[in-house]
Amino acid sequence: MTGLVGRGVARVDGRAKVTGAARYAADNEVTGVLHGHLVLSTVARGEITEIDTSAALAQPGVVAVYTHRDMPRLTLPSFPFLKGFLPLQDARIHHNGQPVAYVVAETLEQAQEAANHVRVRYRAERPTAHLADALGEAFLPRPFRDRPNEFTRGDAAAALKAAEVRIEQDYTSPTMHHNPIEPHTSTAVWNGNSLTLYESAQGIIFTRGVVAKAFEGFGVRLEDVRIISPYLGGGFGAKGPTWPHTLINAAAARAIGRPVKVVLTRAQMFTMNGHRAEYRRSLRIGATRQGVLTAIVDTSTGQLTRTEESIFNTSDSTLNLYACPNVHVRQMGIRLDLPSSSYMRSPETTAHFGLETAMDELAHELGIDPVELRIRNLPATGNTGNHLQECYRMAAKAFGWARRDPRPRSMRDGNEYVGWGVATETHTYSVFPSSAGLTVGVDGRATLRAATQEIGTGTYTVITQVVADGLGMPIEHVTTLLGDTTYPPASLSAASATMASVIGPASHAAQSARDAVIALAVADPRSPLHGVPAQDVVAERGYLFPRGDRGRRDTYHGVMSRHGRPVEVTGSKQNTGGRSHGAVFVEVRFDPRLAALRVSRVVAAYDPGRVLNHRTAHGQVIGGVTWGIGFALMEHTVVDRNTARVVNPNLSTYLVPVCADTPSVESFFVDRPAEDSTALGARGFGETPGTGVPAAISNAIFHATGRRLRDVPFTQDKLL
Amino acid sequence: MTPQRSAYTRRTVLKSTAAATAVTHLTSAPAIADDGGTSEITLSVNGQRHRVAVEPRVTLLDALRERLGLTGTKKGCDRGECGACTVLVDGERIKSCLTLAVMRQGAEITTVEGLARGEELHPVQEAFIRRDAFQCGACTPGQIMSAVACINEGHTGSEAEIREWMSGNLCRCAAYQNIVAAVADAAKETPR
Ligand code: FES
Ligand code: FES
Repeated sequence: MTGLVGRGVARVDGRAKVTGAARYAADNEVTGVLHGHLVLSTVARGEITEIDTSAALAQPGVVAVYTHRDMPRLTLPSFPFLKGFLPLQDARIHHNGQPVAYVVAETLEQAQEAANHVRVRYRAERPTAHLADALGEAFLPRPFRDRPNEFTRGDAAAALKAAEVRIEQDYTSPTMHHNPIEPHTSTAVWNGNSLTLYESAQGIIFTRGVVAKAFEGFGVRLEDVRIISPYLGGGFGAKGPTWPHTLINAAAARAIGRPVKVVLTRAQMFTMNGHRAEYRRSLRIGATRQGVLTAIVDTSTGQLTRTEESIFNTSDSTLNLYACPNVHVRQMGIRLDLPSSSYMRSPETTAHFGLETAMDELAHELGIDPVELRIRNLPATGNTGNHLQECYRMAAKAFGWARRDPRPRSMRDGNEYVGWGVATETHTYSVFPSSAGLTVGVDGRATLRAATQEIGTGTYTVITQVVADGLGMPIEHVTTLLGDTTYPPASLSAASATMASVIGPASHAAQSARDAVIALAVADPRSPLHGVPAQDVVAERGYLFPRGDRGRRDTYHGVMSRHGRPVEVTGSKQNTGGRSHGAVFVEVRFDPRLAALRVSRVVAAYDPGRVLNHRTAHGQVIGGVTWGIGFALMEHTVVDRNTARVVNPNLSTYLVPVCADTPSVESFFVDRPAEDSTALGARGFGETPGTGVPAAISNAIFHATGRRLRDVPFTQDKLL
Repeated sequence: MTPQRSAYTRRTVLKSTAAATAVTHLTSAPAIADDGGTSEITLSVNGQRHRVAVEPRVTLLDALRERLGLTGTKKGCDRGECGACTVLVDGERIKSCLTLAVMRQGAEITTVEGLARGEELHPVQEAFIRRDAFQCGACTPGQIMSAVACINEGHTGSEAEIREWMSGNLCRCAAYQNIVAAVADAAKETPR
């Protein structure tokens, strides 16, 4: 250990990213590649009655046009293929913006142009597009990935009835879209029955499984499929599942016998790759006059489809965050004629927004400080509490919370009302089985390989740090290679799992390789370390020496060049998922003359276990907080009630925060290793920041204006 | 139900506008072949002249990425809304998805690949690394080109001014505060 872990070292992939040298999935030059363009349905429900591709086929450069009539037949994969049906396999239409034809041409422009010439006739049925139009049809979906959609603890109904104080309110959030800057893309290259995909995938191992399954009817086996994804231009959950365009494109490439590339358009990304579902939530909270929670009844209703019933936005925090003895959670769903929803960054935000707003309502009702109210309800023992109290202390102090006058509309600055709000941040992270291969070459340098991905969170950097630290080698002597299924299988870049899953195996590999090289040195008569007991040898900055005797030293380079062959090891280590927490304080300013609201200040503190790189961890905080601002103030996908069509499928009407919308965020970390984590004490963390931000903003708006908003986004019309 | 289509698609309109613009703007009109209108043009990118055959409807962005193999410039939306495709044309920042390649003959185009001098990074690139002004990197080439222009324009007088003048470049990872810091740093180092 050389103190590299934890340091905010600059990103090792920084140079590649600032020079344009980093090759994202759509950046690969593939000889002879054709370009594909999808034609999407213009109705949401019904059937294709007629489809005429002759005009499209007659366009210059067009190589093929596939429809449900002539598309190769694929096998329907299950999770993480989410839709429950494969488009272009039959005439049925399940949602607006579903693929109905796939045009392949020599150039991108030719494919796009020809797509305009595909004529489709439908027998259309009237769709249902909004939860409000089908509330009577809510039902309790089947367990999703072994998690039931109903939990009970104690007797919540009775406790609620008996409660001294009750808060009973409804909270809603609309459909939202991930909108990574890099669109989804896939380039399929077949060689016989072997398939290579240059893919924007958050989980190449997952994607390989889905693709192999879809093509099993052609005799394609898992080992025939190779997925390459060394850099991802963002994903936020959108690229975790495998979506139809990947399979359609690969099937076309196979049938044509040439490589084909597809890049979804921004508009297509509003129906082709999942979204955060629309939610309604009814929350009933009971408490004592001292603010001790006695009952929570949380009933949510989320959008499902007619072919799929997975709930991605679970109510974990209702169940786990506070020590309430009586809880009843139900995660209901309603089938609508819309695309399948999916995971989207910090999925619990939809639920947590309601809970943390209700907590503020309770604090106001009881005249208890909202920070104090939360601290009174933290569990005394167990994983949940960790250092959350300390987070509250750190952030409150830096924010200046003690100076807050709790009365609404009490704080003013010129023409603006100032509001301060607070919420707990919390996220349940996963881990996925992972391994890592490490080679120390004859040049004394190390290369780590793992089939996980760099999605922007700093995976290359943190792994390189950990490996250099474990080997006792300068960081410049370590190269990390990711994003190729020929490397040892490793974690999905989702559910904040990457670090929690991969760091254990990477550091295990580094220690094994270091021990192997030391063993070579002490056994080598040409080494100054010959005969030294192996356990007495330490490695630092590429040097190997007996503890306390730096003069008698060898180097990785020396040992390995004499050895003449690389040392190769594989690291693995199990970890378990868990939760990480924090506290976020927000200041808003509200100008009543214009009903203009802005977030002017954010201070947050977190307990992510041990911080492996302060710089990248801070990056996750500013990202997450900004997502929370987008969730609270602007993001919403508008779906037309009659056609179930997305009305705003672009970045000029689906608004995401821009530079001028965001304040600078100040972050703090408790930074103490989590004893239950084998990832050098680090917990999964990336999606914790932001989970509490919408509630903190709602609470700050109440403080500034005296108005309680329970329906996001809090657009200007709601503040008039 | 049959989808209603107007006789003119967006592409058709774009094509005819392009053809008209191309004719009026060009000093040396390219030879337009009859087969779909492909023409040989010369683009000057990062100080190098490239002969490339494109149809008039090909955007500068797609010419750079799909014809010249300069994939540093990114496509995020293809309609002028995200800024990922920002390049410099005669020193000014433009969105390369909103201009046609044939309209930029004779102009000096600079992409993210053209900023460094050999191994030595441009001060804006240096500052982006130092300030951790990116995460996934998809918006980064556009942010960097925009930052270079923003500094040259003199729009870096305050943090608020930088925020305003860098707001045409979306960063979904939201590295904004670090981008602002990087631009401010680089502005100090750049003689104007
Ligand atoms: S790709 Fe040009 S602005 Fe988005
Ligand atoms: S760094 Fe990912 S979009 Fe900006």
